[in-house]
Amino acid sequence: MTTRMILLLLVVVATPWVSVRAASDQQTIMFGQSAALTGPARELGIGMRLGLLAAFSEVNRKGGVHGYRLQLESLDDRYEPEAAIANTRSLIEKHKVFALIGAVGTPTSKSAQPVATEAGVPYIAPFTGAEFLRDAKKRPNVVNVRASYYQETEEMVVRLNEDLGINRISIFYQNDSFGQAGLNGLRQAVNRHGLTLIEEVYYTRNTEAVKIALLDLRRANAEAVVIVGAYKPAATMIRWARRLNFNPYFINISFIGSTALAKALGPDGTGVYVTQVVPFPRDTTLPIVAQYQEALQAIDTRSKPSFVSLEGYLAGRIAIEGLRLAGPAPTREGFLQALVRAGDMDLGGFRLRYGVDDNQGSDRVYLTRIDDKGRFQAVDKMSLP
Amino acid sequence: MNESPPTGSPDPNDSGVPARQAQSVAIDEPETKRTFRIGVGSRLYFVLFGAVVLMGAATLLAYFSFNETLRHEIQLAEYSMPNLIDSVDVARKSAIVVNGAFRLVSASSKQEHTAVVKATAQEIASLENTILELEARSAFSEQTQLIRSDLEKLGSHLDVIKQSSLRRLNITQALNVFIDELGETSRRVERLLIQAIDDQAFYLVSGLRRLDDKVRPIHKRASEDELTAYRNLITVNQSANLAVLLLDEVLVLADRQFLTPLEERFDSAVQNFLHAYEKLPASMHDNQLEENLTRLGAIGKGPEGVIILRQEELLRLEQERDTLTKARITSESLVSEVNNLVAQINEEALQSSAAAREAAQTGIFLLILLNLLGTIGAVALGSLFVRRYLVSRLVELAGAMREMASGDLEVPVQVEGHDVSKPEKGSANYVRQNIKYLVWNDEVTDMVKALEVFRRYAHEVQRLNLVEKLAKELDAKNENLEQALTNLKAAQEQVIAEQKLASLGQLTAGVAHEIKNPLNFVSNFANVSIELADEIEELMKAAEDLDLEEIRSILDELRTSLGKIKEHGNRADNIVRSMLEHSRDKEGEWRKTNLNALLKEYVDLSYHSLRAEDNSFNAAMHEDLDPNMQEIVVIPQDICRVFLNLVTNAFQAMAEKQKKGDGDYLPELTISSRQLEDHAEFCIRDNGPGIPETMRDKIFEPFMTTKEPGKGTGLGLSLTTDILIRHGGSIHVDTEVGHYTEMRILLPLEPPVEARNSMDNQTDEAG
Repeated sequence: MTTRMILLLLVVVATPWVSVRAASDQQTIMFGQSAALTGPARELGIGMRLGLLAAFSEVNRKGGVHGYRLQLESLDDRYEPEAAIANTRSLIEKHKVFALIGAVGTPTSKSAQPVATEAGVPYIAPFTGAEFLRDAKKRPNVVNVRASYYQETEEMVVRLNEDLGINRISIFYQNDSFGQAGLNGLRQAVNRHGLTLIEEVYYTRNTEAVKIALLDLRRANAEAVVIVGAYKPAATMIRWARRLNFNPYFINISFIGSTALAKALGPDGTGVYVTQVVPFPRDTTLPIVAQYQEALQAIDTRSKPSFVSLEGYLAGRIAIEGLRLAGPAPTREGFLQALVRAGDMDLGGFRLRYGVDDNQGSDRVYLTRIDDKGRFQAVDKMSLP
Repeated sequence: MNESPPTGSPDPNDSGVPARQAQSVAIDEPETKRTFRIGVGSRLYFVLFGAVVLMGAATLLAYFSFNETLRHEIQLAEYSMPNLIDSVDVARKSAIVVNGAFRLVSASSKQEHTAVVKATAQEIASLENTILELEARSAFSEQTQLIRSDLEKLGSHLDVIKQSSLRRLNITQALNVFIDELGETSRRVERLLIQAIDDQAFYLVSGLRRLDDKVRPIHKRASEDELTAYRNLITVNQSANLAVLLLDEVLVLADRQFLTPLEERFDSAVQNFLHAYEKLPASMHDNQLEENLTRLGAIGKGPEGVIILRQEELLRLEQERDTLTKARITSESLVSEVNNLVAQINEEALQSSAAAREAAQTGIFLLILLNLLGTIGAVALGSLFVRRYLVSRLVELAGAMREMASGDLEVPVQVEGHDVSKPEKGSANYVRQNIKYLVWNDEVTDMVKALEVFRRYAHEVQRLNLVEKLAKELDAKNENLEQALTNLKAAQEQVIAEQKLASLGQLTAGVAHEIKNPLNFVSNFANVSIELADEIEELMKAAEDLDLEEIRSILDELRTSLGKIKEHGNRADNIVRSMLEHSRDKEGEWRKTNLNALLKEYVDLSYHSLRAEDNSFNAAMHEDLDPNMQEIVVIPQDICRVFLNLVTNAFQAMAEKQKKGDGDYLPELTISSRQLEDHAEFCIRDNGPGIPETMRDKIFEPFMTTKEPGKGTGLGLSLTTDILIRHGGSIHVDTEVGHYTEMRILLPLEPPVEARNSMDNQTDEAG
């Protein structure tokens, strides 16, 4: 007994010095992120990383999950599928990550996700609503947070058709798997409402060659243009449309990068809609949003709330919840099983539910509109300008 | 006490040992100590020496056979095995060298190439060393020369491939760099051109180049120049795309011949986009685009461009393949030669190994054989010298001593070889006798001879003691026998007396009855006589009227009456006398006797005696007596005992049967007599139970009885037989169980000699 008392005393005395070491000695769980940290989609990658770091720091400050510290390793893939594959391999083999989290983009995810699935590594909260990732049977390791592009396009058509009675809907999409996903979703959505798309135009990825497409849209006399693309070509297209006095309803899919879009549009952004898959990041009435803002402030006082970093934060929270449910000795399998078995989850007003054949947590689509000051507003319905 | 020796009863003068042996003992005894002989010790040493010699022989043989094996093993280890190892080494290294050519051709990186070159060079050097070693050790120069020349050829092929493939790898590396650059360049060109085409097309339609421009009117913007610019942009884009595609094709093409048309088409594509670009208005000229387009052309057509490099790469690959084919042919020849060498060396090693094995096997076989022979020899020596000549004889000697110790001195001490003696020179079988003498003449024989002398002395002493003892014992025995005889006689007399008393007892009732009868007569006739006397007295009182006639008649009657008294008195007297005679101890006298009457008398006596005991017994009696039967000289007391015994037995048997049997049974006794030619025959037959078969032979033995204890002595028929034998007669039994028994007595009519002698000395008292 005496020996133990002495040891305890030593521990207490040495605590200030030891605690530094203890923190680094503590067991960690490593998460890996392959996302665009440079290039035209960099805002998305950086935003996701910020939100994830906010969530991880928050939980690490509270002592971690079952005593584990959470760490994030982010690698830049420049929104290039080949780089995403290389990064994912490196994260799994070299960095020995427990799970992959917060990937950005459909073509990148389409390339990287099979690598993770073959290695049996969880693939959590990719920043994409592509439908193929929702096939839980073929991709048991994927954990989606956000609603799918199909759900977003469905919401768009519902709003356009029901709120405004618009039938002449067209699409402007990026000619890759992301754009294709949006196109397919939108086609099905309009078909469900007994409509067809009056025009389908595309632009080449990583270019701003959008003007011929704009001419086609104008010639088709579209009343609404659903944009499935990146914020830069989208902004170019909208601004040229404004210049031509062609003013249909522009509705962007969540992937657009709302803040960047608003910034690029400037005054031309007024009345542009964006569908979102996370709550409005300034709506602190939701406990989760309040927690998000607090966590964000804790790591970066200059940062402002955004949809992307909120999505990153939510992704981090889901990862933490899964680890918490998986118990003190988490395995990848146990982590995935825990989320499937968890049933209804409510992260401070953001509800999720996973099931055996359901790897998508949230089904909510939120509608936002840019106001005349270039700020986003959460709206329930579309309205005439 | 002592068993007589098997050789026969001993002669008191010669103690059972043949005289010759006794003599030889006496002669040999002093002699043995001085003459030469092989003693027990020498024999044991001889046996030991034999064993040592055999062991030495075995050791020598083992040494030589193992030496031989070792020689072969050394041959195998120092010559065949290294050869074998080297040849296998040659084969292995040849394979590596041969393989090296293939590995060089298929090497995908410089590092791999360098490693293979290094490894192959090492193996070749090592291979040459091994071959040198092999040549130094043995004479396979023919094979090794062939291998060496093949190796040289293979080496030159390898050099060709090595140089070519190194250059080829450099080309491949350069091409890979070009592939990356081509991709990057083509993407940049495409992006720039798409943007330019988009801008130009939009301008043609909308009249706007920038957001803040004013709209150009249609007649100004849709000029021929603007349209030509748009067309040239399209041409640049198409031709650039085509050039990239052609280069891609060049990179995957395998057939060198088809490079020329591709090159031509690529040249024209480059010509086209450069020409179209030149024709673009200056405002559309873009440094970045121009640079990339030029680069695209250079990638394809430069002096170190994709097409030329690819051409060389394909050419080298073809040449390498040809060299590889040559190398393969050389390799095949090399491999077969190496195989040949290995086979030869292997054969040699196998021969060496077989020789070693054979030597070892021969050694083992010889050792086993020698061991076997040694064992047999040792056993034989042991058996001959130790068991046969020593142990068995000692055992015999010990046996003889033990027998002597237990007091048996009869058997002479005889152990094998005890009787040999040194033969006389010149005698028959001199040599054989001498060998025998040598073999058997040892200490054991000495001991045997000494023991035999001792035995003889001891035996003599023992025999003297024995005769004395026997005489004493005989005296004691005779006394005992005499005593026993006396006792026996006394007992016999006692028995006979008892028998007499017993038969007297049996007769008592009958006698009483017989006596009572005459006494009645005596009494009655006495009363009659008294009455008669009274009558006479009355008559005399009335004398006046004396009737003499009457008195005379009374007197007659009185006389008759008194006569009767006398008669019956005599009869009683006779009975008593005969009874006295019957019980008298002294021998009866020979007399002429009416045996019919005697028989009848004793039938009555016996019958009445039995009835006196048991008045319920009745028997019918039949007589068939020969009336002409003459009187025979017998001892009546004895013969009447015979009759009494036989008749009493008959009655008792019948009474017994009656008691046991049913009421219908009527005992019948038949007596008969007949006079034969020189014999008188008397038969006594009853219808009793008969004599069972098993008893028939025993009834005449003494103390044999079937009656319950106390009723008979068992001596009856035995005495009967004795009596009849004395009279020169005999008795015969005829019986059937359950029906009858008939005893037949035969007596000679002429009396025996004894009777005649006796008769002569006595006065005839008959009357």
